[in-house]
Amino acid sequence: MVRLADISEVERAHLLAKECAPFPGQPWVEGLPLSDRRVALVTSAGLHRVGEQAFSLVDLSYRVIPSDLEASDLTMTHSSVHFDRVGFREDVNLVFPIDRLRELENEGVIGSVADRHYSLMGAGWLPQQIEPTMRELARLLKEDDVDAVCLVPV
Amino acid sequence: MRLPRFLWVPFELGRPFGAPNEPDFQRRVLRSALELFEGHSGPVVLADFPDDAPLRTEDESEQVGWACPVVFDSVPESRSKFVDETLAEMSRLAPWHEVYVEARGAPAPGASGLLFARVVELLGEFAEGELNPEVESEKATQEWLRLGCDDLRTWYMEAAQGQPGRASSGDLRDWFWRKTALARLIGAAAETLLDHPEPILRMLAARALVPREYFSVLLAGKGSMPSEN
Repeated sequence: MVRLADISEVERAHLLAKECAPFPGQPWVEGLPLSDRRVALVTSAGLHRVGEQAFSLVDLSYRVIPSDLEASDLTMTHSSVHFDRVGFREDVNLVFPIDRLRELENEGVIGSVADRHYSLMGAGWLPQQIEPTMRELARLLKEDDVDAVCLVPV
Repeated sequence: MRLPRFLWVPFELGRPFGAPNEPDFQRRVLRSALELFEGHSGPVVLADFPDDAPLRTEDESEQVGWACPVVFDSVPESRSKFVDETLAEMSRLAPWHEVYVEARGAPAPGASGLLFARVVELLGEFAEGELNPEVESEKATQEWLRLGCDDLRTWYMEAAQGQPGRASSGDLRDWFWRKTALARLIGAAAETLLDHPEPILRMLAARALVPREYFSVLLAGKGSMPSEN
């Protein structure tokens, strides 16, 4: 995400001063060829259906995004002073590339697109705080026979 | 987190696939990420995406032509005028927002659940020192406030892009935070909230209403970045 040289000096210093919590283990797993994999998207852009409960400022919950949901039915309640929603409103694929994923399926690059994708609220929590939520998502992804996940930060 | 496979992209924050309405480019980015599942060995793969996001076609020819779409009045002398200034500014921007909507389609409704003018009024109450204005929302103050400010800022950015010519994202950002009455109003509200008894509202003011680099412009007397506690 973004070159440090492309953000303000104040923000650059803030990011460089962040302490990243240690993450034990080496979660490398070999698997099927990409063309046989079932792929899901998990975004931290705070996306959800219009009318569904908005994400709050510090939020450990997730929302399910069915694969066949129309882009116009999605809204974003993540917020940041560092970007605006104009790009997302023009094209949801900017942060949630569901149409691109379907195209790769049609081209045979991936095996299939998962039935369900997931959205979380970015920022505001530490890895150990979000771990129970992610374990729940992992269980749901397994139930959907997903064997490749593209995590999309925003 | 220690992800096993990671594709770094050089795009702006908020734009992980580079640019809207650029399906070929977005597909290249996604494919580059997914292909990390093949042809590598662990324990960790960090790959760089090689290209910058494409500019819109018209950007290349019109980048120079963009100009600030509003002629501003002088900075008001008192905070009580910030609301009037902002509402007048929105009236001047409204035709450009209509141009934007005609070209790009109707925007989604705001996320705060409040009318834009109402959010402006409430920001004005904060700006004048009111700590707990009455608001017709079931959302917590920090939620309607951050979503309302985002709704307004997005509307401004859309209006600015309705103007002929194209500005870079940096130009638009600088225009919004340095030149608009709304930014002054948000800054004045943030200044009140920095001293709010509720920690979540102090945190909101310190981190999520005004970018850190514009504190010295918008928060009189608080030119350096305040504590986040």
